Amino acid sequence: MDLATTLVTGTGFWNPLAWILGLIVAFIIAWIIYSLGEKGFKQGTAQAEPFISGNPEPEKGMVHVRAGNLYWGYMEALKGYYDRLVPIHTGNLHDYVLWFLGITALFLVLVVVFV
Amino acid sequence: MKLNASFNHSLWVYHFNSGSCNGCEIEIVATLTPRYDPERFGIKLVGSPRHADVMLVTGPVVHKMKDRLLRVYAQIPDPKVVMCIGSCGISGGVFYDSYNLEGPVDEVIPVDVFVPGCPPRPEAIIHGVVKALQKLERIQGGES
Repeated sequence: MDLATTLVTGTGFWNPLAWILGLIVAFIIAWIIYSLGEKGFKQGTAQAEPFISGNPEPEKGMVHVRAGNLYWGYMEALKGYYDRLVPIHTGNLHDYVLWFLGITALFLVLVVVFV
Repeated sequence: MKLNASFNHSLWVYHFNSGSCNGCEIEIVATLTPRYDPERFGIKLVGSPRHADVMLVTGPVVHKMKDRLLRVYAQIPDPKVVMCIGSCGISGGVFYDSYNLEGPVDEVIPVDVFVPGCPPRPEAIIHGVVKALQKLERIQGGES
């Protein structure tokens, strides 16, 4: 396919060379603006830190939208459930075995009494 | 830093309120009105200390603003000049020796130009800016 071919769509046109030329011009303009920027600041000092109205810069993790924010509404709606469930998840295997034994014992009693 | 020749004599100013009553702010804004029009000399307020040559501080430094003042001061590229506008920043003014003050501005950061007044008139502020400009030129020329 010829690079210089112009595709006329009826509402506009597409020409790869025109785009490449446009990108080069945009790059040159951007480079000129960049080269006119402040060169006096010292790297590795507060002068290179972001300006947040004088407030300290939070950790990177604190300024991003976390995955947990995506299902915040879900957690909020089921707050009553999670408030009870989360403390039970202690991470201690002994606790889980005790829960397992307790629930098994409860079901055995229910089966023996009602079945 | 060596300023580009086209930016010589052009001051960009960052304003910091460290606990002012806003009286000085009103006069700073009055200074920027068409009556005085300092922008024709390239003097204008900027929104970030990263762009500033001069830091304009108003008010005495209250406890909670001390860290922020130090941080903003540190974020201004060199060379920089600090102007203290108003009696409160110079001495504490009517808030002198108050329980919630760190003290006058020059007890927290080095101040180059003091503009007294409560609040100072725009003419006084412009006079201070001229002094700041002279100081900046001296620093750029290698003097302290």
